[in-house]
Amino acid sequence: MSDARQIPCSSKVCRRLFGPVDDEQVRRDCDALMASCLKEACDRWNFDFVTETPLEGNYVWERVHGLGLPKFYRPSGPWGGHDDLGGGKRPCPSTVLLQGTSQGDHVDLSLSCTLVSHSPERPEVSPSGSSAPQGRKRGQTSMTDFYHSKRRLVYCKRKP
Amino acid sequence: MELLCGEVDPVRRAVPDPNLLYDDRILQNLLTIEERYLPQCSYFKCVQKDIQPYMRRMVATWMLEVCEEQKCEEEVFPLAMNYLDRFLAGVPTPKSHLQLLGAVCMFLASKLKETIPLTAEKLCIYTDNSITPQELLEWELVVLGKLKWNLAAVTPHDFIEHILRKLPQPTDKLPLIRKHAQTFSALCATDFKFAMYPPSMIATGSVGAAICGLQQDEDVSSLTFDALTDLLAKVTNTDVDCLKACQEQIEAVLLSSLQQFREEQRESGKEEEELDQASTPTDVRDIDL
Repeated sequence: MSDARQIPCSSKVCRRLFGPVDDEQVRRDCDALMASCLKEACDRWNFDFVTETPLEGNYVWERVHGLGLPKFYRPSGPWGGHDDLGGGKRPCPSTVLLQGTSQGDHVDLSLSCTLVSHSPERPEVSPSGSSAPQGRKRGQTSMTDFYHSKRRLVYCKRKP
Repeated sequence: MELLCGEVDPVRRAVPDPNLLYDDRILQNLLTIEERYLPQCSYFKCVQKDIQPYMRRMVATWMLEVCEEQKCEEEVFPLAMNYLDRFLAGVPTPKSHLQLLGAVCMFLASKLKETIPLTAEKLCIYTDNSITPQELLEWELVVLGKLKWNLAAVTPHDFIEHILRKLPQPTDKLPLIRKHAQTFSALCATDFKFAMYPPSMIATGSVGAAICGLQQDEDVSSLTFDALTDLLAKVTNTDVDCLKACQEQIEAVLLSSLQQFREEQRESGKEEEELDQASTPTDVRDIDL
């Protein structure tokens, strides 16, 4: 290991705290919790991230072609194609939600969603979503907003 | 020819940014948002069935030791404990998963705060290989999902510098006070009774306890105890009585952990040398009350 902080393996800190760990149970619980995360995301965005289908709910989803997204944001492998970042396997949240789907049709294709109001008195909702009644926690109204903010973060982090 | 033997710190740190430290809006913003990152409930009562408070202390102590041995940045441990508590407040977890969870939380906190983060392999070794790097990475996603990717939590560490700045202490005493205050707030993170306290209160209490403790040996403060408490309370808008109670609790926890340490030392006197390498956060044991 070329790491600056080597571990003395004899260290008394290396210890097992609560006896044996059942690998099977760890895996089962992981899958169950992952499924519940997906379910929460699905409920929140009324979008089935596994099958990539919009569902009934607050958001209207529409396909966007030719968005010109940087390659970085297009998942290409099972964990997304992020090899240029050095981090290797770390997926970004959107690819996490997308994992397990067929990858072929992601290139140059994205989805955008808009928050719609269900109250009859307010048929029009501004696309920015800032005036939407349920929009209190939803300043972000389309996936492209999301992508932009992600991108900014990545660049900031890489500054020396 | 001369041989130069010195420890070179490979980690480059930014200098303290006056724009962040001398602007009162930062402190006010921290105070406004800190509550958002508290665990949602006292989870031993309402969520967990298998895990007991003493198990949390066990995993916390282990995490602190790993962070010390790996010389992690001071914020890593309290941040990891924040993740652990927030996760446990929402997800019933068997005790056999607790160490895995602790490792995942350190993994995440280290990545967020450190230039050279802890690796998955290393953390697995620290669990005596009871978990695999693969499991760690998979659970990382689970924890991220349950925390809603909301990792930039506010911890007591974020307040310490802001509090110190408002005190009339001589500047040459500040590093010592800071070091002790950081140790105390790390100690608080190992004890569940502080888990629901606002981080600003823990930080304020830790600074108070640090100054009072040091005052017995040398003159670090020109203020009386009451004047100091009033000033501290004002800085973080904490109620004076709450602050006093918090500071007393911190002192009690410190005392009991010192006693515990002395007992352990008596039991295994020869391991002492090895232990003394630990440096971050400051060892409780080199603090005299």
